[in-house]
Amino acid sequence: MQQRTIRDKRDRFLPYLLLLPVLAFAAVFKLYPIFYSAISGFHYKGNWSLRTYQLLFQDSVFINSLLVTIRMNLIMTPLQIVLSLILALMVNNTMKGIGAFRSVFYLPVTISMPVAAICFSMILSYNNGVANTMLNAIGIGTQGFFNDKGQAMACVILLCTWKGCGYWMMFFLAGLKGIDEALYEAARVDGAGYFSTLFHITLPLLRRTSLFVMVADTSINLLLFAPMKLITDGGPRGTTDVLMYEAYRQAFKYGNYNKGSAITSVLIVFTLLIVMIQFRMMADRD
Amino acid sequence: MTLKKNLTRALLVLGLLLISVIALFPILYPLVSSFRTDQEIYQYNTVFQLHTLWPEHWTAEAYGALFRDYHFERFFLNTFLVVGVILPVSVIMCSVAAYAFAFYHFRGQKPLYALLLLTFMVPGEAIALPLYQLINGLGLVNTYSSLILPSLANGLTLFMYRQAFKDVPISLLEASDLDGASWFTCYWHVVMPLCVPTTIAMCLMTFVNEWNNYLWPLLAARKDAVKTITVAITAFKEENVVHWNLIYSSSMISALIPVLLFLPFQKYFVSGIASGSVKG
Repeated sequence: MQQRTIRDKRDRFLPYLLLLPVLAFAAVFKLYPIFYSAISGFHYKGNWSLRTYQLLFQDSVFINSLLVTIRMNLIMTPLQIVLSLILALMVNNTMKGIGAFRSVFYLPVTISMPVAAICFSMILSYNNGVANTMLNAIGIGTQGFFNDKGQAMACVILLCTWKGCGYWMMFFLAGLKGIDEALYEAARVDGAGYFSTLFHITLPLLRRTSLFVMVADTSINLLLFAPMKLITDGGPRGTTDVLMYEAYRQAFKYGNYNKGSAITSVLIVFTLLIVMIQFRMMADRD
Repeated sequence: MTLKKNLTRALLVLGLLLISVIALFPILYPLVSSFRTDQEIYQYNTVFQLHTLWPEHWTAEAYGALFRDYHFERFFLNTFLVVGVILPVSVIMCSVAAYAFAFYHFRGQKPLYALLLLTFMVPGEAIALPLYQLINGLGLVNTYSSLILPSLANGLTLFMYRQAFKDVPISLLEASDLDGASWFTCYWHVVMPLCVPTTIAMCLMTFVNEWNNYLWPLLAARKDAVKTITVAITAFKEENVVHWNLIYSSSMISALIPVLLFLPFQKYFVSGIASGSVKG
């Protein structure tokens, strides 16, 4: 798109002046911390060294945390994408009152993650939670939920999926609205059924949206923190000890600031990769 | 054919209702429970019955206690103060920068824009630790500034304003140019009034983000005097494990404002999502 210009001769310095505040704040509160953590990760006792990372990758707690984070993302992100796509397909019609359903599905998004975590921890509480009362009533029996090392991660995923799907649904809905109605018309004339239309027209055309959602969702899930801080404390037995929480715990609970920063640097590398991909995708669209 | 159609529709509605129950239960159950006494919550939780889900006696006592005994009003005031500074400064600062990007040609324009967008796309959580060191070094921990300063410049706001400014008809600006208007006149009296929907959407988003922000305020503002609402309720939960009705009521009261903002302004939230990232 061609850029419109006004008075570019008279005010050569004006645009820089207008940018200055944002640039200054970005430099101090975003760029500086990124570079600072990148550089401090390569310092060990005052010298340039890879020692911090050597130690980090020999540490079984960190390795566990890395694996937990990766595993969580591998399960949670695809699950959220598929479910939010299904939600979007369900509400993408002109039925009377469908707007109310859309709002209801979006409602969990407006609740903050800490509040959602608190509510889930109490509903799924081992001792007095209403979920266990209900499960007992139908004969399934008391479950450990966040206290059970086999179930804790599943419960975290349940919480995040409950909270996240409405958000991604909106992206898919926007994508669905962008599909030309004529394509569906043509498919109908050809006698294509719902599922063949879905797999041959809708899904291929939602490729861009899905990619975007996948990348954006991964970057959010990668930095998940509140449920671990508020419910599981990384446990039981480290099964929910994601990197973000481990970094926080090292720095603020054990006072091991260097280790916390080193873990943060690993996270920043991950996020930067994701951000680059995201950026390329946005640039493509422009 | 119509039978099949009706059946599909019935199944769809059934599915929608079922999902609605799943979406609403974790909000409605705490909401209802916040109007009960602790004793009642515990008492009816051993064996499932109607009163497990529905209170026998409604009472707003828990809400009264929050303000009377725990002074929740100061956490609300803290949050409003922080957001009250961030909103106008952030909107003006970012829209002015977007104005420069949208209406001027200058050297380094593209790399600067790319750099800013890339920088802002790194989520705050990822840099929370090094940022804490910086804020700590400046001696700003446990001050309002620690909550305000890092949130002032915002990439999404910058991006959204630039998108909106691109749609402003250039003829309007040329007309004001001929009248000899300054850049500020063009910006404040011509461009900004045309972008009111963007301003509303950005204010709502910034507000909800700040309101729900957790990790950063948890690190930077731990004293009661500056604590914001989300950190306050989580700390409250950890200190009052046995008072379930209080925990529920504090959670609900902090969830109330984002929900109340969302319901009437839904279309602005959605427009932010749709135009911000997925176009075509």
